[in-house]
Amino acid sequence: MKNKILSVFVFGFFLLNAILPAQEEIRIRIRDGLPFIPVALPEIAFTDQSEIDQEIRNTLHETLWQDLDYSRVFRMIPKEHYQYIPRLTGDQVNFKDWASLQARFLLTGQLEITAGDRIIFSFKIYDVQSERFVFGKNYGGRKDLIRLIAHRTADELMKLVGEKPVFASRIAFVSERDGNKEIYVMDYDGHRQTRLTNNTVVDMLPSWSTDNSKIAYTSYRRMNPDLYLLDIYSGQSEMIATGGTNYAADFSPDGNHLVYTSTRDGNAEIYVKELAGGRDRRLTFNQAIDTAPNWSPSGREIVFVSDRSGSPQIYIMDAEGANVRRISYQGTYHDSPAWSPDGSRIAFVGRVEGRFDIFVHILRSSETIKLTENSGRNENPSWSPDGRHLAFSSTRGGSSQVWLMDYDGSNARQITFQGENKMAKWQKSVQ
Amino acid sequence: MRKTIAVWVIMLAMVFLFTSCAKKKPVVAPTPEPVSVEVEDVDKKVEKPALTEEEIFQQKTVEELNKAAHLKRINFDFDRFFVREDMKPILQANADWLRRFPTVEIVIEGHCDERGTVEYNMALGEKRAQSARNYLVSLGIPANRVKTVSYGKNRPLVPGVDEASYFQNRRAEFVITKK
Repeated sequence: MKNKILSVFVFGFFLLNAILPAQEEIRIRIRDGLPFIPVALPEIAFTDQSEIDQEIRNTLHETLWQDLDYSRVFRMIPKEHYQYIPRLTGDQVNFKDWASLQARFLLTGQLEITAGDRIIFSFKIYDVQSERFVFGKNYGGRKDLIRLIAHRTADELMKLVGEKPVFASRIAFVSERDGNKEIYVMDYDGHRQTRLTNNTVVDMLPSWSTDNSKIAYTSYRRMNPDLYLLDIYSGQSEMIATGGTNYAADFSPDGNHLVYTSTRDGNAEIYVKELAGGRDRRLTFNQAIDTAPNWSPSGREIVFVSDRSGSPQIYIMDAEGANVRRISYQGTYHDSPAWSPDGSRIAFVGRVEGRFDIFVHILRSSETIKLTENSGRNENPSWSPDGRHLAFSSTRGGSSQVWLMDYDGSNARQITFQGENKMAKWQKSVQ
Repeated sequence: MRKTIAVWVIMLAMVFLFTSCAKKKPVVAPTPEPVSVEVEDVDKKVEKPALTEEEIFQQKTVEELNKAAHLKRINFDFDRFFVREDMKPILQANADWLRRFPTVEIVIEGHCDERGTVEYNMALGEKRAQSARNYLVSLGIPANRVKTVSYGKNRPLVPGVDEASYFQNRRAEFVITKK
């Protein structure tokens, strides 16, 4: 059902976007296919100006603004328009004023500093058209978590309109900024980057567990590419697959299995590991390379790459390994398939005339759309939890960096800048 | 009488001898010029027998052996993993060296150029390493002496983005792990 809605959404998106919002009474669940929802976000109020660090207040407001503006769900009503509206005092909202700006939602917030470095951010969401308070929450935390508080707030607005939260999600990636490839993690917008591994060898291809508590990755720390499971809270890594090359892991949607590639039987084949018992089941059996497996969101199928036809192409099989069918035909070289969270499409890398670009294959129509063009080498696409954005690596700026773009290829922006950065993997959900 | 004459003659002769000696002018012998003699270390001249390769091998650590590059790397065609004809003599030489030092164990590293994707290159690197390994085994090197590892495109040899650089990066390297 969701698939159908999204495919309508995709084709109707731009047409509808130009049309003004319909004037019917707002329902809290707003589905894809409707135009951007106009939101007003006036300045964050403060309980006592002398105590509030102006920078914190600005960071909070800007982060929240950028999140909503980036969402492709909301449209921010420009700040300049707010000056015509009397300043908000307490809970007295003159809805007519905000309605005159065609705001559908009004998000107000108040920030205060409590003992030590703790801050409390209270926000309220008003439905301007029905002139009522809809939702509010208080977030408390350390000062330095201000960006996370802003992301969580933006996610509340997403949930309110029936969308998956996305802004508090994080992206794991590989950086060579310290001289060798290590696993790092950052917010979706590139802020708050932290290194997770310190193996001083090659660590690569990170992949989030379904509950975001672990990252599977490949490390050469024992001089062989073995698969490890990193507990991101304890920082401990446990080896879970060795013998041959073990890599390209992806957790099943139920969190109980890990699909990955291993060459332990002499050739790159796909295996599914039961995480509880550690037992492996081999899914592919042939002399060709079978690699880069990725679960469908339903957990019933696996998309992967095989060169059984003579060149690397994208195939889908059942989670048990049967019923293999090829889905890519254009071009001679495809890799790194990533199944969208709604199940409707598969992003992948294609090489055409020596150029590497990100493509998306729409399963229903078997259409393939090129998302990047004439912009360096583009690799390893990874979907945002809501499926509206993709993280990928690109060399368009000279060095390899992590970039984001929307599902239709628009709105590309670079989010890493230090050293070489690649193999970005977005969390599958916000916890 | 005769006796006395003889005595006289002897005496006379002796007197003569003495006087003639005394008459000679005393000559001071000139100081002889110092002869410079080059002192040579004889040991140096002794020809030592050259170290055999075996002895050199014994002296070197595994790191030094690797640095000396006894085992040469081979290169591959784009997107291929079979051993090229022109690389076979290199593998033959590597096999000869391995036969000579039968205690040596190696890891063959398979590498790719950057014109492939991350995951596929991991598999391709593995195939390159294995195909080099199979060739060594076919030349009689015991399989248990040769391990393989794929680095995909993680460790390019040269940074260039031209075919010459790509060619250098599509390679199998032979790393000694034990001697």
